[in-house]
Amino acid sequence: MNALTQTQHLLTIVWWMSLGLSILLYIILDGADLGAGVFSLFVSDEDERGAIMSAMAGTWDANETWLIVAGGVLFGTFPFVYGSLFSYLMVPLALALWGIITRAVSLEFRHLAEKRYQRFSDYAFGISSLATTFFGGMAVGATLHGFPLTHVPNQVPTYVGGALRFISPFSIWTGIAAVIAVSLAGGLFIRARFEPEEDIRKHAARWTNYAFYAAIGAVAITIGWSVIIFPWVSGKWFGPYFWVYGIGFLAVLFAIVKMRAASNAERDIAAILWLNAAIALMATGMMWTMYPWMVPDTWTIYAGATPQVSIITFTLAMAGFFPVMLMYNWYQIWVFRARVSKLAAYGH
Amino acid sequence: MSDNSLSVFLSRIDFAWITSFHILYPPLTIGLAVILFFFEWRWVATDDERWYRLSRFFEKLFIVNFGAGVATGITMEMAFGILYGPFSQAAGPFFGQVLGYETITAFMYEAGFIGLMIFGWGKISKRMHLFATFNVALSSSFSAMWILVANSWMQTPTGIVFKHGVFQVTDWVAALFNPDVMYGFPHMLVATFELALFFVAGVCAWFVLKRRHITLFARPLRFALLALVVVAPLQVYLGDGLGETVAHDQPAALAAMEGHYNTYNKDGSVNTGWHILAWPNAKGDGNAFAITIPHVLSLLETHSWNGKVEGLNSIKPQDRPPVVVPFYSFRVMVAAGMAMMLVAFWGGWLALRRRLSADTIAANPWFLRAVMASAFLPYLAVWTGWWTREVARQPWVVYGMMRTSAGVSHMSVPLEIFWLIGYMTFELTVFGGTWYFLAKIIRKGPDLVSPVAQDGHQTLGHIEDSGDHEPGKPEYLRPA
Repeated sequence: MNALTQTQHLLTIVWWMSLGLSILLYIILDGADLGAGVFSLFVSDEDERGAIMSAMAGTWDANETWLIVAGGVLFGTFPFVYGSLFSYLMVPLALALWGIITRAVSLEFRHLAEKRYQRFSDYAFGISSLATTFFGGMAVGATLHGFPLTHVPNQVPTYVGGALRFISPFSIWTGIAAVIAVSLAGGLFIRARFEPEEDIRKHAARWTNYAFYAAIGAVAITIGWSVIIFPWVSGKWFGPYFWVYGIGFLAVLFAIVKMRAASNAERDIAAILWLNAAIALMATGMMWTMYPWMVPDTWTIYAGATPQVSIITFTLAMAGFFPVMLMYNWYQIWVFRARVSKLAAYGH
Repeated sequence: MSDNSLSVFLSRIDFAWITSFHILYPPLTIGLAVILFFFEWRWVATDDERWYRLSRFFEKLFIVNFGAGVATGITMEMAFGILYGPFSQAAGPFFGQVLGYETITAFMYEAGFIGLMIFGWGKISKRMHLFATFNVALSSSFSAMWILVANSWMQTPTGIVFKHGVFQVTDWVAALFNPDVMYGFPHMLVATFELALFFVAGVCAWFVLKRRHITLFARPLRFALLALVVVAPLQVYLGDGLGETVAHDQPAALAAMEGHYNTYNKDGSVNTGWHILAWPNAKGDGNAFAITIPHVLSLLETHSWNGKVEGLNSIKPQDRPPVVVPFYSFRVMVAAGMAMMLVAFWGGWLALRRRLSADTIAANPWFLRAVMASAFLPYLAVWTGWWTREVARQPWVVYGMMRTSAGVSHMSVPLEIFWLIGYMTFELTVFGGTWYFLAKIIRKGPDLVSPVAQDGHQTLGHIEDSGDHEPGKPEYLRPA
C-alpha cells in the first residue's frame, strides 16, 4: 500500500510537523484556559470566578480551534490513523469531548444565568476543565502504548480490541500529569491577566508556587517511566545521538529556570513565554523520539498517510491559511490583552 | 456484519441523533451572520442608531446559538472516527481532506473573527468591526459549502476509484463538483437564509404583537418578508432541481422517497402515479394502501406526462432503502416549504398595500401570529430534509460503493447504548439551555440605553452603578 513518491514522503513529514504544531499550539493556548478552569474550583469568591471566565472570553474559542485544526489535519492527511486511533480512544475522547462542550456552554451562558444557577455553572466549568485535561492526558498516554490492528489483505487495518484497553497505570499517570501541567499554566495565566492589586493574583502566586514543584516532579516521573517501559524511548535516548537529547534536556532546564525567575520578578508575560518554550522543546523532543512512528509500534507516519497527499492542497493550507490563522490569533490576543479586575464578572 | 443487525442500527441512530441535534444551530449561524452584516452595514452607512440596536440585540441571540453549534459540532468531528472508523479510513483521502479544509478555511477563519465581532465593540474601529462581521458571514457560508461537498460526494461518489479498501481520488475536480452538490449546496445555503429570515421575522413579529418597540422592529420585519418573497420560491425551485438529480443518480433513493415500487403497471404501461399518502405492505414489495394521482410522479421527476421512473422492485432486495422515513419526511419537508412560501407571499401582498409600516403593522394580529408560527417551519424542513437524504441513501454509506455495515466501528451493543444515552442527555441539555436563553434574551428585549460603541482602542475599567437588575452591585460598562 505504501506507494508514496519522494515528494509525498517529504510532504507527509511536513504535514506531520504541522499536526504537531497544531497540537502544541492547542496545548499552549488552551492549556492556560483549562488550568484557569481547574484553578477556579479553588476560588470561593463568585465575582472572581466570573472574572476568570471573562478574562478568557474573547480568546478561548480561537484557542480551542487549534484542536479542531489538529483533528482536521489528522483526518485529512492521516485518515488511517484517525479512523483506528479514535476507535481505540473512544471512551477517553468521548469524556474529554463531554468536558469541552460543557465548558463551552458554561462559559458562554454564565452571564445569562440566574444567580442560583451560576454557582452550578461555575462548578460545571471547573469540573469540565479538569475532565478535559485528565482524559486528554490519558488519551496521549494510551497513544504512546500503541494498539493492535487487523490484518486483512486488501483492507485498511482497523483497531481490534476492547473499549477499555486504553486504561493502564501509565495512561492514568499521564492524565494526572496533564492536570498538574495545566495547573501551572493556569496560575501563570491568572497572574498575567489580572490587575496587579487584585487578591486573586496573590492567590494565584501561591498556587503557581506549588504547581511549579509538582510539575517538575511530574516531568521527571514521566521521563523515567517512559524510559523503563518504552524500548523505542530508551533506544533513542541512549543511542548514538544521546548528546542531542542531552542538549535538549539542558535547554528545557534553562527555560524552566528562566520561567521561575521571570515569575518571581512579576514579569508575567515573560514567565508564560518561557513556560511555552519549555513545553515546545519537550513536545519537539517527544516527536523526535517517536519518529518514524506516529503511533508507536502501530502506525508509521508514511503508512498512516493518505496516498493522495499532494503538493497543491498542501501549499493551499500552509501558504494560505496557517499564516493567516496565526496572524489573527495573535491580533485577537493583542486586542484582548488588557488586564482585568474581578468586576469583569459583570462585563460582556 | 449484516445490514440489519442491532449494532449497525444503533450506530446509525447514534449518528442520526448527534447530527440532528447539530443541524439545529449552524443554519441560523450562517443566515443570521448575513443579516447581522446587513444591519451593521446600514448602521455604519446611515448612522441610524436603530440599526445599531438591532445588531446588538440579534447578536446576543447569535452568540447563544453559535455556542450551541460549536459544542455540538466538535462532537461530530470526533464522532466520524469513533463511530465510523472503517468508513473514515476508507473515505479519508477525499472525505477527510474535505473536512480538513472545512476546518481550516471555514471553522478557524470564523472562530478568529467571531471573537472580534462579539467582544470587539468599542475596542476596534467601526469599519474593522464591520469587516469582522463580514468575514463571519463569509466563513460560515464556506463551512456549509465544504460540508455539503463532503456529504454530496457520499450521495454521488465521482472522481474516485475504490481500491484496496480505500477511496483513491483520481480526479479532484470531478469529486469536488460531484453531481449532487450542484443543487445540494445552494439548497442548503438558501435554507439557512430562509431559516434566519423567518427567525428574525418571527422575533420581530412577537415584539410588534406585544406592542413593544414597534418602530424598531417593524422595519426589519418588513425587510425580512420582502426578502422571503424571493428566497422562499427560490428554495422550492432549488429543491425541485435537487429532486431531479436524485431521480437521475440515485433511483433507489427517489423510489423510496415516493413509495414507488413498480416501474410498470400490470398492463405494461409506465407507472406514473404519485402517492399523496401510502404505507408499505408487510412483504415490502408494494403499498398496503395508497392515495394516488396518476401522471404527477412523471411530471415531477422527468417533467413529462409519461416519463419512466424506476421503481423499488427493480432494485435488488438487499440494496433497497427503508421507505416509511424517507416517504413521510419528504412530504413534511415539501409541505413546510410550501407553507413558508405562502406566508412570504401574504407578507409581500400586505407590504404592497402598505400595511406593514410602523403605524399600521400592529393591526394585522393574525398575520403576525402566522409569521411567528412560521419561525418553526424551517427547522422542521431542515430536519425532515436531512432525514430524507440520509435514510434514502441506505443501505449505503457511500452510495453504491460502501455499505453502512462495512463502515461502522466494531463496537459492542452496550457501548453503543452507553454512547447514545450519554449524548441524548447531553444534547437535550444543550438544546434546553439554548431555548431557555434565547427566550430569556427575547423577553428582556433590546438594550436601548447603553452608549453606542465608538471607534478606537478604549481601555477597560469604567465602573458605574447599574441601578437596573441587581441594586448595589457595580455595573461594568465599556467606557464611552
